[in-house]
Amino acid sequence: MDDKDNANPTILNPSDLPSRRSQSAAKARDDGGSGLFDDLIPRYNYLSDPFDDPLSDSDVDGDAVESIDEQEIYDLISTISDPEHPLSLGSLAVVNLPDIHIHPPASPLSSISTVVVEITPTITHCSLATVIGLGVRVRLEQALPPRFRVDVRIKKGTHSTDEQVNKQLGDKERVAAALENGTLMGVLRKMLETCE
Amino acid sequence: MPNSRLYTLKPLTTLAPPSSSRTWQTAPHPTLPIVATACSDRSVRVYSLTSFILLHSITGGHKRSVRAVSWKPGTKGQSVLATGSFDASAGIWRREEQSSNEDDFTNRRIGGAEDEDGRDDDDDYQFSCILDGHESEIKSLSWSPTGQYLATCSRDKSVWIWEELEDDNFETVAVLQEHDGDVKCVAWHPEEDLLASASYDDSVRLYREDADDWVQVCCISGKEGHGMTVWWVEFEGSGMSKKDFRAQQEGLSDERLQHIERLERSGPRLATCSDDRTVRVWRRTPRDQPNASSNTGIPSIIRSAAIDEDWYQEAVLPQVHERAIYSVSWSQTTGMIASAGSDGKIIVYKERWKQESNGVDAQNGEHMDVDGAHRAEPQPLTEWVVVAELFSAHDVFEINHVTWAKRADKGKRWDGEEVILSTGDDGEVKVWEVFEPPSP
Repeated sequence: MDDKDNANPTILNPSDLPSRRSQSAAKARDDGGSGLFDDLIPRYNYLSDPFDDPLSDSDVDGDAVESIDEQEIYDLISTISDPEHPLSLGSLAVVNLPDIHIHPPASPLSSISTVVVEITPTITHCSLATVIGLGVRVRLEQALPPRFRVDVRIKKGTHSTDEQVNKQLGDKERVAAALENGTLMGVLRKMLETCE
Repeated sequence: MPNSRLYTLKPLTTLAPPSSSRTWQTAPHPTLPIVATACSDRSVRVYSLTSFILLHSITGGHKRSVRAVSWKPGTKGQSVLATGSFDASAGIWRREEQSSNEDDFTNRRIGGAEDEDGRDDDDDYQFSCILDGHESEIKSLSWSPTGQYLATCSRDKSVWIWEELEDDNFETVAVLQEHDGDVKCVAWHPEEDLLASASYDDSVRLYREDADDWVQVCCISGKEGHGMTVWWVEFEGSGMSKKDFRAQQEGLSDERLQHIERLERSGPRLATCSDDRTVRVWRRTPRDQPNASSNTGIPSIIRSAAIDEDWYQEAVLPQVHERAIYSVSWSQTTGMIASAGSDGKIIVYKERWKQESNGVDAQNGEHMDVDGAHRAEPQPLTEWVVVAELFSAHDVFEINHVTWAKRADKGKRWDGEEVILSTGDDGEVKVWEVFEPPSP
């Protein structure tokens, strides 16, 4: 994971990446009948985050109500491997903490929160932007409780076909069909291996 | 907003046992009290609407998710089910129905199919044939009202029309490639051989047969359309003017009577829903009326313009959904519309006469809906209001499909009572009772 001696200048040092030690106990996804991707992807334990800094110990969610913040989302997806390089999306600055936003339920009668992640592809014509976005979406749908809706987008102006990619990533049916594609699942599985 | 949300939806039951993975769509049988549910575990589950239990599990056919199911209408003595899958194929399944089916289901003991003696295999749905041709996932399929045609649509951007020549011999009568993206849904007009399709390319298209060739007769897109993926398209039922708010004609003003008469000439309308979080109702400009598109004076050199149709937006229903709307269903009994989608809500809408506006000249309203501009229709005389809004119908999960169905259990309160069936990512199909407000 930590092969940061790679000569690529855009790689961030792991110690520069935003992190915060999470002391909360296992927040395993509520499996109440969801099973959406169960037979497709191995389960990941997102507590063993290689970027967790054991020194900063300032966790905020001490109360019983499970609250998830942007840093936790970042921790979940920054360790995903780039499909091309043996590097994490965090170290390539494809995912960045300021580009993660959590929107609480729109109404007191609703329990649906929305996570919006804007990804920054390394090059403007990166054909793998869709795969990276799909990896982020799958990772979050896998790891977060089902009350979260996950919207993954390409950061505006960073990609030549961002509208098209965004539309694909937002299409539930396409995502579901993609996850039944063995070849693509192989790629995704490899990207997510480093999240264990 | 005069939104009196007076109706209530109460959970009646969940069809049991539920699927352990995402369910996509549930189709009520045209005559029997059963439904078929398309499941992502590659199976179709057939449930009873009398006992609410699983009667059959159709497995072993598709290699990927079953995305859509449609019962063939008008069959005698047997049930015919078409299934569309992400494996790019459609399947046809048959089951001989014993006489007096309704009793069959009513008398079925708790425990389901296993309890039945001596019927075992013959009792199951038999695979009959496979329809190959699409290049990628089938997203929706639908039989025409006469059962003559089956329409299928796919991510390969095409709509196929199949005709059953004789049992298990299907012929491709058309491959329509007008769309620029996945075709999400197909639906037939209840009285005419008119097909509608909705797409990822944000458009809705209509097709009919012209001199042995199926051709596009209308395209709703661009500024006129949704502007985002259109997930579902469904026609209004036949003869609804005798069933919905139009049925009570006594004491209506001439203006309203004319509206009813004009709407009759338009025929059943079209409802669509979209990623843009709106539900819209479209209406056809009647043939005998001059319309904008045929008055352009530009002759079509490709084919006769006579077959082209003009469909315009009659209404945008009140916007209550917070995320993509995946499904909309038009009751063929009451004319009410139900919608559901990613936000987990079920919304019910009802059309009613708009209050006579005081002091406003309703003749040539300039403040009409934007899309109504330059149409023959004056200011709308009716309005759609939300009569029920239900949150978290499937807990925190998305709802992929919603449909009205005839109620068939013992608790049925009147003949023709309808329930709402919702199908969710949690693998559950839920049955909802609709309670009307007390009559004034």
